[in-house]
Amino acid sequence: MNARAFNDWLSSTALSQVLQDTHGAIAGIQMVHIVCLATLFALALNLSLRLAGRGLVAEPLASMAARFVPGIWICLALLLLTGSLLIVAEPHRTITNPAFYTKMGLLAVGIVLTIRLASIARGQPEKTTAPRVAMAMLYMLIWIGIIFAGRYIAYLI
Amino acid sequence: MSADFLQWLQGTRLAVAIAEVWFPLVESLHVLTMACVAGTIFIVDTRLVGLTSRKLAFTYLSDRLLPWTWGAFGCSVVTGTLMFMSNATGYYANTAFRVKMLLLLLAGLNMLYFQTVTFRGVSRWDLSRPPVAARLAGAASICLWCGVIGFGRWIGFTNN
Repeated sequence: MNARAFNDWLSSTALSQVLQDTHGAIAGIQMVHIVCLATLFALALNLSLRLAGRGLVAEPLASMAARFVPGIWICLALLLLTGSLLIVAEPHRTITNPAFYTKMGLLAVGIVLTIRLASIARGQPEKTTAPRVAMAMLYMLIWIGIIFAGRYIAYLI
Repeated sequence: MSADFLQWLQGTRLAVAIAEVWFPLVESLHVLTMACVAGTIFIVDTRLVGLTSRKLAFTYLSDRLLPWTWGAFGCSVVTGTLMFMSNATGYYANTAFRVKMLLLLLAGLNMLYFQTVTFRGVSRWDLSRPPVAARLAGAASICLWCGVIGFGRWIGFTNN
């Protein structure tokens, strides 16, 4: 099955038809997607700043990571769910779109870095080193890239 | 706002350049800065409601996060204005755009009331559970910013 045939099949499924025919469904799902992304972005920003020895320094990194990393996973799960629904609703926007695959590639890196960051927080949390600052910057750049790639999906159909 | 002014605005060289070339980049920056605004506000508001960061003083959290919120909000206003210029007549007539602006105004008024009235007694609850007025302000703020995001996205589905 090629990409075009897959698009046609996916958009003809019952779930896709319901999402396409329900007024406001796609916009509503996108709204939840963006709220989750905003929350995740702020959590990631605070963790990155803390990893670099800045931001909410009154709280130990281990404690902050214990609070924020689960929040990031919950946001990621909701992003995955809403993102999947958006793909099902409008497969022609994503399946052959280079911006979509860029976003997915960056997301994979973001997930790996989140796991690494949680591991650092559990290990030797209060040491600010150049590699950690670099990792914090990379972590934020990944999420910024994900936001940009997500928006460019609409322009590279 | 006069139709002549809106027509002039969207006919300027800057507005035409945004409409024809730069719109995707400006819109992406707008989403990024709005994510920073809403996300940092959510963290402060959930502390205000009493759901998160309960071991941190409210003033410490807000002092550390709100500069990011205001910086991102300033960038958001710039990118939003540039987007508005690119199709001023279309946005001005758009109901979702008007509702978004109204919700932004209400979020601002909510923050103003909180800062000038409720926040004055912060020393009594800085390290404990905030009073009902503060919790209500936090809950209202979360709802209003979700609305800002929702109607902001809705503009894309209804703007011509």
